[in-house]
Amino acid sequence: MAFNQEAYKELELIVGKRYVTQDIAERECYRSIMAESSAHSGPFDGETPIPGAVILPGSTEEVQAIVKVCNKYDIHFKACTTFWSVMGFVGDEDSLQIDMKRMKKMEFHERDQYVIVEPYCIGAVVQVEAMKRGFNVNMAGVGCSSSTLAGASSWVAFGPSSCFMGVASENFLAVEWVLPNGEILRTGSLGSGGDWFCGEGPGPSTRAILRGTQGTAGSFGVCTRLAVRLHPWPGPTVLPSYGTIPAYKLVPQWNIKTYTLNFPDWDGYANTINYLSQNQDIAYLGHRQYNMWGRYIKLAMIKMLLDPDGQLADVPKYMEDPFIKEQTEKCRIDLQVVIVGMTKRDMEWKEKAIDEILRRVNGWKNEFMLQPEVQDWVALYLLRLGHKNLNYTLCSSYEGSGGLSNNVFVTSQVMEEYHQLREEFDKTHNGLAATGGDSEMGALSTLGGGGITGYEFFQWFDRHDRSSIDDCRDFIQNYSQKLCDKYGFGTDMGNWNNTARHPDTGYYYTQEEQNEMFAGAPQPYLFTYQFLIKKAFNPKDLCGSYYRTLDPACLKK
Amino acid sequence: MALKDFRAMMERDSYCNSCKWIPYDKIRSQRFAENCPTNLYYQFHLYSVRGKWQAAQTYLDTQEGTLGKDPLIKQYGYDFNSSPDFLESVQSCTTCGSCDVSCKVCRFNLEPLAFNIELKNEAILRGFVLPQQKEAIEALKKEQTLITGVKKADRQAWAKGINFAADAETVFFPGCKYSYDPELQAYARKAAETLINAGVKLGFMGDADMCCAGRAYQQGFYDEFNARADANIKAFQAKGVKTIVTPCADCYHAFKRLYAARGLNVKVLHLVEYLDELIKSGDLKFTKNVDMVVTYHDPCHLGRQGEPYVAWNGTEKKIMHQVHTWDPPRPRYNGAHGIYDAPRDVIKSIPGVKLVEMERIREYALCCGAGANTQVNFPEFSAATASERVTEANTTGADALVTACPWCEANFKNAVDENGNKIDVIDIIDLVARAL
Amino acid sequence: MDGIKAALVNLLGAANVSDDEKVLAEYASDKSFARAISPLCVVKVENGDQVEALVKLANEKKIPLIPVSSKGPHYRGDTVPSVPGAVIVDLSGMKKIISINKLHRMAVIEPGVTYGELQEALAKEDMHFAYTLAPRDTKSVMASIMEIEPRLNAMHGWSYTEPLRCLEITWGDGNRMYTGDAAAGGPVGSLETQFKQEKWQVSPLGPMMTDFHRLITQSQGTMGIATWASVRCELALQAHECFFLTAKEEKDLLNFVWDVNHVRFSEELFIMNKNQIAYLMGKDAAEIAALKTALPAWVVFVGVGGRELLPKERCAQQAADIEEFAQKNKLTLVRSIGGVSANDFYKKAISVCPAEKYWKETYKGAFQDIFFLSKLDDSAMFIDKMNAIATSLGYPASDIGVYVQPIHMGTEYHVEFTIPYDPTSKKETELAKELFIKASEALSAAGAFYARPYGPWAHIQLNKDAMNTKTLTTLKGIFDPNGIMNPGKLSI
Repeated sequence: MAFNQEAYKELELIVGKRYVTQDIAERECYRSIMAESSAHSGPFDGETPIPGAVILPGSTEEVQAIVKVCNKYDIHFKACTTFWSVMGFVGDEDSLQIDMKRMKKMEFHERDQYVIVEPYCIGAVVQVEAMKRGFNVNMAGVGCSSSTLAGASSWVAFGPSSCFMGVASENFLAVEWVLPNGEILRTGSLGSGGDWFCGEGPGPSTRAILRGTQGTAGSFGVCTRLAVRLHPWPGPTVLPSYGTIPAYKLVPQWNIKTYTLNFPDWDGYANTINYLSQNQDIAYLGHRQYNMWGRYIKLAMIKMLLDPDGQLADVPKYMEDPFIKEQTEKCRIDLQVVIVGMTKRDMEWKEKAIDEILRRVNGWKNEFMLQPEVQDWVALYLLRLGHKNLNYTLCSSYEGSGGLSNNVFVTSQVMEEYHQLREEFDKTHNGLAATGGDSEMGALSTLGGGGITGYEFFQWFDRHDRSSIDDCRDFIQNYSQKLCDKYGFGTDMGNWNNTARHPDTGYYYTQEEQNEMFAGAPQPYLFTYQFLIKKAFNPKDLCGSYYRTLDPACLKK
Repeated sequence: MALKDFRAMMERDSYCNSCKWIPYDKIRSQRFAENCPTNLYYQFHLYSVRGKWQAAQTYLDTQEGTLGKDPLIKQYGYDFNSSPDFLESVQSCTTCGSCDVSCKVCRFNLEPLAFNIELKNEAILRGFVLPQQKEAIEALKKEQTLITGVKKADRQAWAKGINFAADAETVFFPGCKYSYDPELQAYARKAAETLINAGVKLGFMGDADMCCAGRAYQQGFYDEFNARADANIKAFQAKGVKTIVTPCADCYHAFKRLYAARGLNVKVLHLVEYLDELIKSGDLKFTKNVDMVVTYHDPCHLGRQGEPYVAWNGTEKKIMHQVHTWDPPRPRYNGAHGIYDAPRDVIKSIPGVKLVEMERIREYALCCGAGANTQVNFPEFSAATASERVTEANTTGADALVTACPWCEANFKNAVDENGNKIDVIDIIDLVARAL
Repeated sequence: MDGIKAALVNLLGAANVSDDEKVLAEYASDKSFARAISPLCVVKVENGDQVEALVKLANEKKIPLIPVSSKGPHYRGDTVPSVPGAVIVDLSGMKKIISINKLHRMAVIEPGVTYGELQEALAKEDMHFAYTLAPRDTKSVMASIMEIEPRLNAMHGWSYTEPLRCLEITWGDGNRMYTGDAAAGGPVGSLETQFKQEKWQVSPLGPMMTDFHRLITQSQGTMGIATWASVRCELALQAHECFFLTAKEEKDLLNFVWDVNHVRFSEELFIMNKNQIAYLMGKDAAEIAALKTALPAWVVFVGVGGRELLPKERCAQQAADIEEFAQKNKLTLVRSIGGVSANDFYKKAISVCPAEKYWKETYKGAFQDIFFLSKLDDSAMFIDKMNAIATSLGYPASDIGVYVQPIHMGTEYHVEFTIPYDPTSKKETELAKELFIKASEALSAAGAFYARPYGPWAHIQLNKDAMNTKTLTTLKGIFDPNGIMNPGKLSI
């Protein structure tokens, strides 16, 4: 373990001694258990490697200088901001972890409806500043605690607001990006010294190599500033809340309403999603949110969370409450929507549109969820998306399983089968929380204009309990994947990143290992082109194997 | 609990970063959204409870000799010697509890504050004591106060001439800061006199009035705290005390929570609670206008840490295979029942005073920077935290910053905001007195 | 040539390879000021297999290829060879509408499908395709959307490349690929199999971490050849109303446009000056002249509507709301101006125009367009600048047509100036050319962003942007290593 000391001295000169460290514990805390949140790379043991040093740059110029030092001394580096997910951590020792925490400036351009953000502008602060100005910003499902820039540039990042605001990629305007070789690319209108309003062109968009479906996950240099689109917000300039912690609730607003829509069958669910997402001007937010805890306990959990003294131990008693029991059964197939009226007439029409949809699908609004304090709680929850740590609340960890599909009419038909699959598993295994096999959470739309939903089944497990980890791995590898194979859903979400880094040790793959993985891919050119792009812009291969590549020479063999 | 008893929590933390921010639902601006004083100042991840959850695992493995026990995790051992930053992150934590509150918005099986304090105890057990801490503990032993350079003999000087009732069941406990700080002693007097003049039969511990040692506990000096606490409990019992009224948030928390855990069974009120009762019952009437716009700072140990003690001795219990609960249910201590309204009601009841709120308030107020004796142990960091708070106070446009804790008050009085401006800092006792 | 022709005939069949002079002449020049160079020959292709084989051959023999999907006339210079010895790859005969799926609002089309053909097919399913302003009837839908021509409905422009979704592409190196959903999680390339699995090639993103479709959009055929595209369609409007708002100056309309954009109302929303409206509506020069006199100087056209859910109510609600926006901005919604009804205007705007009588040529017989992207508020400045340059050169500013179209949900604004001229007059032609070049430069200096850098705009824009130029050149070197795809375009 030896970080290059010449390089370290140069890094000190760039940021000052205060903002770079080789202290062992400092480095240690920039490690992640491989099972952590959206890692999607089971099995779930191990931790990512310890970096050789950690640095906190304060500006794009410092980032560029750092990257040049890394190129000079062949030091691998990885930048991250909120480290919510394992992909932000390094994949080999003696590498440099770049923590973007000090870069948090924001610049609003209200008339042109965008904001320029630096990496440490988390969704919450971008939103609060946007709302002061009558705007809102797309919040990735990962929640308001994560970086707006990182979501928009580097990962998939759809969420409840995507039905109205589009997915991250659609909110990504001009960007300033320090490439792995230390050059700075400014895209679109910015490249020629103009404003940030257009992120495309001139000619073919160079942003093509920066994003894709899932972003480069920090494996293609460092994104330092990004313009993201702003969206209309006709609500109050500050979200007014009431209630005692943790049960904060939104003070009711005339033009913000939340409903939990229930359906008699999955056809109704699928058709509703289609109506809402294809007519993208109805729902402001749409998510199947609370089902993540499991079908049986979702309403009982909400009841518990509304009590400042509530505990998880209270959940069973709420499950037995006759009203909650009845409503939970009715809520078996559900969806949360938030409608926001731009004008009074707009609000009236949206209310009617929701009712019309329900009429067509024989659906209804869940009575438990219509209680005023529940509505107020849900509204704040979904608008701010500030409770994403509830993703861990049952045990300590979860992994998303199943997978995305571009067709809710197909995936919805599989829900009950998936539910049964887990129910059967729970009869013979006790490593996963048995709160209802259908623990699917998902976004109404993962693309502007609809047509694709994004969902994952939450498998709740305890990372302190080896048998729990093992059961999670077992379920995903041997049960969930089989179902995905049966329906042609591809790689189970829990294994998505198995080709990004070694699942257990968290080390990056070598080029040879990647060649072996991708030579037989259905579209090997995808990886060979990425190899050539990497060769051109990251010649020293300093950023790790989330950027998947295949040496074209392998194809000629 | 010992540090090793936190192992499960260390592994179960999820890196959500809530511990660095106020509850997200409550954020009103980017400027005043972050809330962990050490993370704001030092910036590295280790300076947050999340960083410490992670770092403590390998630290513990090193101590226990179990490095490398998991073949999938390559570990490099360290202790407080080989990681000065780990030591500083542990020692500099002000134990404000903000991380605890934010974490518990969503989590039910993590205790960040208790862990932070446990780490401090761990450092002490391993012999890592700052020179300033050593001096303070010596003073505690010798002069029964953590404040250095003062004498026990001078502790009661502030009380000269006050007519305390010898046999009162309600005692006034000013605490060390009010007792010794020449700028604050007058407020201790005013507080006691105000209560007495309002008809309260108020006693005083006299020679038995000694440091609550709460700030020793905050720094991890468990043994020293326990010794002082047990002695004080005996003294309270001997005197037949039924109610303690204190103007100091640290003492308040010590008695209400820490002493209660050690068997103290008395009613504990902060002065603001008592004043609030007196005002609402009509026993305290204001006669003058105080035309002023003020903002109020919630002291950590009166606000989010001012919740009642709930005895608990339980174990982890999993239901539904893997849902973690505690049996019996563990007290939440999430800041829900802290003392926020009493001081505000007092302020708002003063004629002419207008209260404007800062953004970080109540259970998510920013620490003043003086908790765990940080103003002595890490003065630069403490001053920076106070400056951050004064900056926030100044953005409200208030004429003055009011608080109900002498440690907060002293730290703010010395502080300037980010533009170099001070703010008038008023003790709530003083504010009340101006209207009487 | 003989060797190359023989190879092409061997690959595609003699009927599909032509070096007839008349045929070559159709492609040697177009109606832009691009320098004329005759191609070597013109080949017709019928499917992706042929295109892949052709590109591989071209790599082997270093044959420059220029893909052309639309029948003429062409106006931008992008299909005119920049080097001798080029082969025109005529995709206009690939006319399959491979699928239409109403539930998912998706269609898959080949390059030769024109607007008229697609709209007709979709109309049978009560759908339509995103309208662009009165395209010529020979215009390829795929070419149009790959070149990011602006749509009338910015509110359905969720991304800059909308309504383009997935593509089958043969890159300049001869590798064939599928983008977006067409590549993900299942059998790649086989549309039939994907349809059976209820996969409708919806998302354009990726696959993986590269947006391959963005490397071929706005590329003027310099990166590869696309042989089918999945495109997002719309349900037909069940209710629709449209209006004009007028003002003496363009800047007085901007707040209204912003207000409507901001709350995401409207089906159509754009600004024109009277000239452009006259050019669109007038049957001949005389009628155009009369309209220019009768019409107000500046006009917003706004349409509202409803589709499958409570359409009449939706239409009425938005109409009432935008009326309030108009009043707030001291404007009035009217249903006709200068004898032109909003409905008639709408019908013209969304209809297909005969190529031999393209509406922009009606007034004087020829035209040049200058267009670029701008922020909303800068449009007024650009208009003033354009007028000033025209006047300084002696070109009548009163002839310049202006069209300002929000795109991408109002994130960017397409600003377009039309310069009509008489092609039979050497003087007018020279003047138009001079204005075209000088105005292009001056507008760029003032901040115009040539996102679609045709002709001289390429070096104007890329000269200002060293890093993008370098990056594009590098990418071109990856996807077209032998430089056979439309060499000389885009200055890379």
